[in-house]
Amino acid sequence: MAPVSYMAASRVYAKGTPPAVDALDLDIKDGEFMVLVGPSGSGKTTALRMLAGLEPLDAGRIEIGGRDVSDVQPKDRDIAMVFQNYALYPSKTVAENMGFALKMQHVAKDERDRRVREAAQLLDLDEQLLSRKPKQLSGGQRQRVAMGRAIVREPRVFLMDEPLSNLDAKLRVQTRSQIAELQRRLGITTVYVTHDQVEAMTMGNRVAVLSGGKLQQCASPRELYDNPVNQFVAGFIGSPSMNLQTAALTDGGAALAGAVIPLAAPVRAAATRDHLSEIVLGIRPEHMHLADPGAGPAAGSDSVWLTGEVLLVEELGADALLHVRLADGGGSVVARTEGRRSTAPGKQVSFRVQPEDVFAFHPVTGARLAG
Amino acid sequence: MTAIPATHAQVQAPRRSRRMREMSGLAGWTALGWVVGIGFFIPVLWMVLTAFKPESAAETWPPQFTFSPTLSEFRLVFSGMGPYIEHSAIATIGSTILVLILALPAAYALAVHPVKRWRDSLFFFISTKMLPIVAAIGPLYVIALKTHLLDSIWLLIILYAAMNLPLAIWMIRSFMLEVPTEMLEAARLDGAGRLREIVEVIMPIVIPGVVSSALICVIFAWNELFLALNLTVTNAATMPMFLISSVPQEGLYIAHLSAAATVASVPVIIVGWIAQRSLVRGLSMGAIK
Amino acid sequence: MAVLQDVSAPPAAGLRPRGVGRRERWQRRLPLLPALIYTIVVTQIPFLVTLWYSFQNYFWNQPGGATWAGVSNYEQVFKDPNFRSALVRSVTMTVIAVIVAMFLGVLFAMLLDRKFPGRGVVRTLIITPFLIMPAAAALVWAGPMLDPNFGLLNWLLEPFGVHHVAWLTTHAYGSVIVVMIWEWTPFMTLIVLAGLQGQAADILEAAKVDGAGAWATFRELTLPHLRPYIELGILLGSIYLVNVFDQVRLMTNGGPGTSTTTLPFYLYQQLDYAFNVGGTAAAGVVTVVLTIIVASFALRLFARVFQFEEAK
Repeated sequence: MAPVSYMAASRVYAKGTPPAVDALDLDIKDGEFMVLVGPSGSGKTTALRMLAGLEPLDAGRIEIGGRDVSDVQPKDRDIAMVFQNYALYPSKTVAENMGFALKMQHVAKDERDRRVREAAQLLDLDEQLLSRKPKQLSGGQRQRVAMGRAIVREPRVFLMDEPLSNLDAKLRVQTRSQIAELQRRLGITTVYVTHDQVEAMTMGNRVAVLSGGKLQQCASPRELYDNPVNQFVAGFIGSPSMNLQTAALTDGGAALAGAVIPLAAPVRAAATRDHLSEIVLGIRPEHMHLADPGAGPAAGSDSVWLTGEVLLVEELGADALLHVRLADGGGSVVARTEGRRSTAPGKQVSFRVQPEDVFAFHPVTGARLAG
Repeated sequence: MTAIPATHAQVQAPRRSRRMREMSGLAGWTALGWVVGIGFFIPVLWMVLTAFKPESAAETWPPQFTFSPTLSEFRLVFSGMGPYIEHSAIATIGSTILVLILALPAAYALAVHPVKRWRDSLFFFISTKMLPIVAAIGPLYVIALKTHLLDSIWLLIILYAAMNLPLAIWMIRSFMLEVPTEMLEAARLDGAGRLREIVEVIMPIVIPGVVSSALICVIFAWNELFLALNLTVTNAATMPMFLISSVPQEGLYIAHLSAAATVASVPVIIVGWIAQRSLVRGLSMGAIK
Repeated sequence: MAVLQDVSAPPAAGLRPRGVGRRERWQRRLPLLPALIYTIVVTQIPFLVTLWYSFQNYFWNQPGGATWAGVSNYEQVFKDPNFRSALVRSVTMTVIAVIVAMFLGVLFAMLLDRKFPGRGVVRTLIITPFLIMPAAAALVWAGPMLDPNFGLLNWLLEPFGVHHVAWLTTHAYGSVIVVMIWEWTPFMTLIVLAGLQGQAADILEAAKVDGAGAWATFRELTLPHLRPYIELGILLGSIYLVNVFDQVRLMTNGGPGTSTTTLPFYLYQQLDYAFNVGGTAAAGVVTVVLTIIVASFALRLFARVFQFEEAK
């Protein structure tokens, strides 16, 4: 168990090309479950591999437990890794796979067997499976063996590279919570890479969002959701994604779908300072509240009313997602509503939006305009 | 999220020592690789070198590395090899064409929509290679005599084809196995019959593999000695025979021999070098699976 | 994790997969037939004729053609000490050559698996012995390389205290084996190289993370992975090497004495010098039977090599 630090760590593949990981600064606390999330090409896997020692550092350094490991071989870093495709040794049995690292450390056979069996129990792997070869196992079982291989080592840091991406949807949801609980029980610092923001939000103590090799924001899931620091994070976190619409600036706010959305004074000040004539508005689908048919704006309320035509209704059971084209050339948005309040394509609908639920972003840099 | 920015020296250090380690490792492998490569190649190099020597310089002690090169041995070789090289070319190309004509449909039958007993068929073909040809050479001679095929180029074509067929079938089959089933099914849905399936779906994917299989057949056919030695005299004598004939009973012959050996080997060597990738792929991939 | 089973409908009894229709089956066989028939005719007919002649007394140089000899040819073969020694010699030479060639093949493949400048050229150089005409190689090794008076090898080994050794006289057996190895190592190298390059990169990385050094990774992971490739190389190499003829004929002519007389060469001698068609035929049949026996054992041992994928 140890804290992990990236200090201005960079990796570039060829001279002159943009770095795969660009001066990453990240502090991971001892025992923390840190998720690195981002689209493909964001550098999250490269960053993980740099921590593992499978990719060299071209600048900066990485510390584990306060010790600089930038030049240390993977086997001497006291880490264990779960690979995306599990990378189980095909010629060895499950037990041999799990005990391999211990064998390399010259741990006695009895001790090895004991620890393998313990880990197998922890992961609900049947005794019978221990003598089978990987190709005889199902995907879910293989995934657990890959985890077992890492657990057995009792390392200071766990590294996981999209371990759930090869499982089917249902198994993924199940295993997700099992991994989170396991980590809580073992208390080992974990760095977990995924492209799935749902995994990131549900599993991580903190989540680091990466894009184009650069760290966008590192915070708790709630903080990322409530206070995204730029347009990328805002659009990446949350499912379905936040609606982002370009809106022209007018007196007191921004014009969208024929309505004016009031903007806070600091936001307007920031926009004026940068001589902006338009900004990007962000509204989460769950913050677009479907109004009852026939209802209208109530006097004295500060909510904004947006109207539009329903293009598509996606039924989720408990919820429904409405794809709506906003009036006055306002673009297409998605709104979440209770499943029971059905509507149909072609109908005109209205939404109530609270101004405080609206985010404003710089149209060019994507940075959040705020106080 | 505080970070202690690494100083420039701290950043440079890992980079420098890592680069040095990488370079010295690389230098070691490079040296080893070249030593092995050249060492292995020396006999060939020596052969080609000796081919340019006049006879007087070929059988000396110590062996000469500098001499005035001459083409006289080559000229002798070229003047004498005419019919031999012609026969070799016909036998090689003819047998390879025959092999492809037979092997392509057979491989198709064993790979795509396979025959029920494809394992047995495959095993049968391979088993014919396990039986030493020497065992049947006597009776082969008699058969050839009685069918008037002795000393005929056709005999060589027939026998070389039989010799290479099992390997060609095995290799082409494994290349055909690589065609994704989905592609075949898509073609079927699009209404492609068997012929169209072969020509438009399978062949484009399999052609590199077929080329490498053909290459290997060419190598074995061109270099074959035993059958040519026993079943031909003059009308179908091939390059290996020419090579043997360049060793006279008496007199100096080393330079001449080297020239003949070089000329005999060069076609296949050049072809093998150019199509190296194909060859590697064929030998190794065709063999596995 | 209990799974609820639907027990309402019992499974249909006596179901069998329908299989392929009759016409389709013949359509599938058709493309195979030309190759099959051709092979049967060209390989089995001579074998049957060999079988016939093995029971005949038939000498080229004697008038009168073939007369029935019963099993006397076979008796001769079994009594013939030269046949037995040629057989043993063939097997040992093949075994030695195959093992050494495969050993070198693994080493060379590992070398070629690393990226270094000029790797392509080195690979080209290494595969050349396989491309060169075996007859040419035999003659070049016999003359310019190994000759006691002007051979290159003697000159190269001079500083090591080796003086004008007549390799083909004093070390004929070894010399022939060396040439066999020289010619077949490239073949083994390429097969093993394909195996090495087929190893998944992430498995090697997992081993690195698990603490395996270079030797441990090779021993525990790479070798087991290479096993089918090595077995295939040994199988194919043996098939070709046991039949090797050119080198013996052109380098030593079986000598000195019979020290390099392999079985193929012995049979050739019987035919070419003793004109003994019947005897050669019988010896040939015996060889074939022995080969079948060995091959059955070998195939059982190397069953994994024939990883016949299930028919699609």
